[in-house]
Amino acid sequence: MLGEATAPRSGRQLDLSVVAPLYNEAQNVAPLVEWILEALGSYPGSFEVILVDDGSRDDTWQRVTAASAADPRVRGIALGRNVGQTAAMMAGFDHARGGVVVSLDGDLQNDPRDIPALLGKLEEGYDLVCGWRQRRQDKFLLRKVPSWVANRIIRRLTGVQITDNGCSLKAYRRDLLDRISLYAEQHRFIPALSASVGARITELPVRHHARRYGESKYGISRTVKVLVDLLTLKMITTFRSRPLVGFGTLAIPMVLAAVLFTVMAVVAASEFQPSKAEALVFPGSALICAGAAFYLLMLGLVSEVALNAERESANEIPTAWEVR
Amino acid sequence: MGQGALMEPTLQPSRAGADARFVSVVVPVVERADDLTELYRSFSAALDGQGEEHEFVFVFDGGFAPPAELLALSQQRESVRLLRFARTFGETAALRLGIERSRGDVILTLPAYFQVTPEGVTTLIAALTDETDLVVANRSPRIDSWLNRVQSVAFNRMIAGVTDRPFHDIACGVRVMRRSVAEGLPLYGDLHRFIPALALREGYRVAEVAVPQHPGNARTRLYGPGVYARRLLDIAAFFFLAKFTEKPLRFFGLVGSGFFAAGAITSLVLLVSRLQGQGIANRPLLLLAVLLLALGVQLMGLGLVGEIIVHLRAPHRRAYRVRERTNSGGPGPHPTGSGPARSTSSGQA
Repeated sequence: MLGEATAPRSGRQLDLSVVAPLYNEAQNVAPLVEWILEALGSYPGSFEVILVDDGSRDDTWQRVTAASAADPRVRGIALGRNVGQTAAMMAGFDHARGGVVVSLDGDLQNDPRDIPALLGKLEEGYDLVCGWRQRRQDKFLLRKVPSWVANRIIRRLTGVQITDNGCSLKAYRRDLLDRISLYAEQHRFIPALSASVGARITELPVRHHARRYGESKYGISRTVKVLVDLLTLKMITTFRSRPLVGFGTLAIPMVLAAVLFTVMAVVAASEFQPSKAEALVFPGSALICAGAAFYLLMLGLVSEVALNAERESANEIPTAWEVR
Repeated sequence: MGQGALMEPTLQPSRAGADARFVSVVVPVVERADDLTELYRSFSAALDGQGEEHEFVFVFDGGFAPPAELLALSQQRESVRLLRFARTFGETAALRLGIERSRGDVILTLPAYFQVTPEGVTTLIAALTDETDLVVANRSPRIDSWLNRVQSVAFNRMIAGVTDRPFHDIACGVRVMRRSVAEGLPLYGDLHRFIPALALREGYRVAEVAVPQHPGNARTRLYGPGVYARRLLDIAAFFFLAKFTEKPLRFFGLVGSGFFAAGAITSLVLLVSRLQGQGIANRPLLLLAVLLLALGVQLMGLGLVGEIIVHLRAPHRRAYRVRERTNSGGPGPHPTGSGPARSTSSGQA
């Protein structure tokens, strides 16, 4: 079950938090930490590395505790069970104390050496800098083609011109993270969600490495789910502040069908002597369509009720962004 | 909730030391009750025998009154407390009230009838070690009638299909858990039957321990058809809760698109016959096609309403529970990962 969020985000004492979710990545923990610390060797500010163990069944957590014992800047968070990448990332974001947060994959496929470049880009006045994997080291048919198709559709539907939505290597301003809440499997839609709250977004080419240890946790069946989730997200973000309009739009085809059947019923009745069945079919169809349209409008009203109940916390007034 | 308590418990810190644990026995008196005084005496004696410090909290649902003997006992002893609902609220509510008003760091839930032997309960408590957060009894060997055994096996088999792990006796009313677990479970409706599965979903470590069934539990119990129907609905509710609470449109969309596809195919058949010159005004099949299409759209609309509600709640909810942290250094209550550090407290929607 979901828990109520408390506020572990208190106290921003650091400049940077690097968040990496880990799921069965025992062999990758030590090299990952080493790479990150090395990449941030010349970083002028204070930083922390947050490793989120997403209910791994191997000894990932033991490696994390070892790494954090060796360096106080490395913090570990163990989740109660495997909750998936989105929730694991949220756990990391919730516990991050940095004014800037960088997320990356725990499987060493992202290169921490790109972090300084992302931070530099962020300094130019962006709220979100997305990594764009160059020369992806993944299987062509199983990973690259579905990803290419999915990214095209995401760009088309959301209007956010980010080439590579699936790349985990991203840099965020804390401001932005406080405004978006990820759930289900929405980490792929971070650019779209960020755009919907008015964030300034850009992308930057980053390196990509082949997997060294462990198994990939993706498959082609995800692409279909991603598309369904995307459509859902599109509908929600479009209509979340005025659901009645959304459901009204859905009801239009039903109303049109009802009108069409009514006309057909009238025509059928005037043109020829209808039998009993003929007298029923068209008016019946018209009634069903009208009923469905009415029902959809009622659903829109229910949504308005839900929205109103949450209005205070839904943060619907778009708070202005700090001018930098 | 209008719960009229017979006796208000006096809240006081009762823990002797950090190591000594205090067991609160929560007894929901609902639906069926044996001689409660005898129940109290035998289980209390068994706990005393193991040197477990304990209290008993009886929660009487509407329609049940505490027997005079137990009432007298509760006036004599502080470790026997009686609470009473003003009207019927059911077992889940009774458990929640009992947990809330109890003081122990270990909660033992016990049915108001002899389900397992008192000695079995002590083995159950002993099984709650550092490695486990919740232990549920598995009545074994079972000595009741084959009919009840078949029912129980069928129920558990069906549930096994929707839980993360199969249980042998998930609905057994005898369970031991830490207070943090008991307070973190999303208990509402009739979900008490799924407590071990809920705890597992929350990421707690759950164990099953074989406990001998009490001879008094051996006689055949027959239920009306309504009870079986409600059990099936309970399983369906749990299934939905477990799989689709974060993405309702996946469920409604799937069912809805099934209807929509059936309607589309039917319409296509009609269209073909119309193009072949056959009239459709006298075809009741048209009604079916339109009805299926409309149903499909309606179901997807319902899913969308669900999605909107989930989306609106998202800023306040977290799908994860933190078990442990290292180098947290923050304001958290557990600076080093020594115990279960909760950064989220589970509530219910």
